[in-house]
Amino acid sequence: MLSINRKTFRIVLSCLVFFAPSYLLPETTVHGQAKTELAQPAKPGDSSTQTGSTAAIPVPSTTTGPTDDSDKETIRQMLRRIEDLEGRIRELEARQAQTAAPTGTGTATAQQNAATEGIDSPAASPTNTNGGQGAIPPVAITHDDHQDLPNGPPRLQIQGFADVNFRATNEKGRNNSFFLGQLDLFLTSRLSEKFSVLSELILEAGEDNAFTFEIHRLLLKYSRNEYFNLSAGRYHTSIGYYNTAFHHGSFFQTTANRPFLFAFESRGGILPLHNVGLSLTGRIPSAPLGLRYVAEIGNGRAARPGARPVQTVVDENNGKSFNLGIFARPRQVPGLQTGFSVYHDRLTRPGVPTVDQTIMAGHLIYVNDRTELLNEAIVFRHAQAGRIFYIPGFYTQFSRRFDNLRPFFRYQYVNVPGDDPIYRAVGRRNGPSVGVRYDLSDFVNFKAQYDHTGRRRLSALDELILQLSFTF
Amino acid sequence: MFRANRILNILLILMLMSVPILAPANAVEERLLSPSLLLRTLQRGDLAIIVHKSNPVQNLSMAELREYFLAERSHWSTQQKIRVAMREPGSPEREAVLRLICGMKRDQDFTTYFLRAKFSEQVVDEPRSLDSTPNMIRFVANVSGAIGYVRADEVDPSVRVIRVDNLLPGDPDYKLVLP
Repeated sequence: MLSINRKTFRIVLSCLVFFAPSYLLPETTVHGQAKTELAQPAKPGDSSTQTGSTAAIPVPSTTTGPTDDSDKETIRQMLRRIEDLEGRIRELEARQAQTAAPTGTGTATAQQNAATEGIDSPAASPTNTNGGQGAIPPVAITHDDHQDLPNGPPRLQIQGFADVNFRATNEKGRNNSFFLGQLDLFLTSRLSEKFSVLSELILEAGEDNAFTFEIHRLLLKYSRNEYFNLSAGRYHTSIGYYNTAFHHGSFFQTTANRPFLFAFESRGGILPLHNVGLSLTGRIPSAPLGLRYVAEIGNGRAARPGARPVQTVVDENNGKSFNLGIFARPRQVPGLQTGFSVYHDRLTRPGVPTVDQTIMAGHLIYVNDRTELLNEAIVFRHAQAGRIFYIPGFYTQFSRRFDNLRPFFRYQYVNVPGDDPIYRAVGRRNGPSVGVRYDLSDFVNFKAQYDHTGRRRLSALDELILQLSFTF
Repeated sequence: MFRANRILNILLILMLMSVPILAPANAVEERLLSPSLLLRTLQRGDLAIIVHKSNPVQNLSMAELREYFLAERSHWSTQQKIRVAMREPGSPEREAVLRLICGMKRDQDFTTYFLRAKFSEQVVDEPRSLDSTPNMIRFVANVSGAIGYVRADEVDPSVRVIRVDNLLPGDPDYKLVLP
């Protein structure tokens, strides 16, 4: 038999007397609750203690003396029992969620929603288990605890963008006019934790003063995580920066109009800015500099004379366009973005050889709450019957905000060779734009812009644009 | 036999002496309980970043916080979707977060930022706006991917405080201080 001698017993006893307060005080301190929780982060990597329901339950330790062991055993048994019950509740909830009808109402739907949207059920939440012990009042889970919880069918959110303009120009055949810009109805709806829908509907009057309606974006988006976001539908091609940063609403733009390089197809733009197909985007796992990728495949742009440029329903060939891009947003320099993309398509025109189109785009952007610096360069490569044609283009834009006033300067350049098989009519266009944007309120701004555009073999264009743009 | 007893006795003493070191009262806990530190937190108005208790994240840098609050990150490392909770416009806590984390001086910039982020397919949901500390704590306590903020002296045990740049509220160089 092992025995403890008297001397050792004395030492043990003195140890107990000396250290007893250390055991007892932390659990009986006045700051009990806050202390317990604030202390948790101090255990790096100890996630199990936070996720487990047992860790969330403060163990009362005001009792001392010979009943300690039996109390601890009782508590241990209680914790095991709570764990069992929690497991049972989770199992029941999962079963209930599976059997609930999609349009069901009442608690079944609410619980399903809670499960999909990441809201802990009262029974399973640590808060509630704590509350059961009287440490924290139980928290009722209501629908309002998360805004994007569809209670029943999905909810549609609409945001409108519009602008009213006046243009004075020296262009022959065009009079100074007031004109309406695009009425942009931007619709979004969350369908579930991972699925959402986005649409951009445009009502716009043309040169004949007749209104046209067009779906410019319609996407069903599946967001598995931040590395994998797949969209299907009609999208804005991720060529460069401007097209996916500003879309249609001129409200967000500093300038009154888009750089010519990024003008929409319907207004004579040369880039395939809209496409119908699939788009995959996300961060690159473990990559430095906040690297992100984009991969798109779609119908591409129509090349037949007189055809609508965006092939929403019918593709004029079986070949599909693709666009691959990579861009970086380094965390160390907030507001900086740089990237590169390559787009490829085959343009089929009746009676002439097919054109292999490759578009290479690079950008360097710096935007913070005061300063905006946008730089983009694009090179088209058209290959037809052994001949190669290049179209270079770029723009640079700088602006700085002074309270509600933001003066800006932009210089743009694009040079289409006179013998280019697709866009020869565009020719060369280059020149500066200067102006100011003034924020009249959070959602209304006024812009005044002067453009000077030099053109090959044509007289230069001078244009003044006044614009009121707003969101509602 | 005598030698074995002696060794066991020594081991017993060592075990008893070591228990206080391993006990729950770790360094951070002691610091947070320190009256002087608590007073400093109160006087300075430190802001605590809070997350759901199940969130395993312990520490975020200011740059990471910026990414989270501006929805440049959409998911936690656990693949849980991030739900940003903000106080209502005009509250000092919100102003501090906008200025110190988001680098924005005007509330309007934050509103416009998210309007544009939504327009650019970066986010589907805007941050949840909550009009009081209890509501903020309630939201973060109930939504498993939530991240929010409250005054450090108003934290309650239903949520968890994370470190910012390896510092907790009350630390001398802690950056999230109310204006």
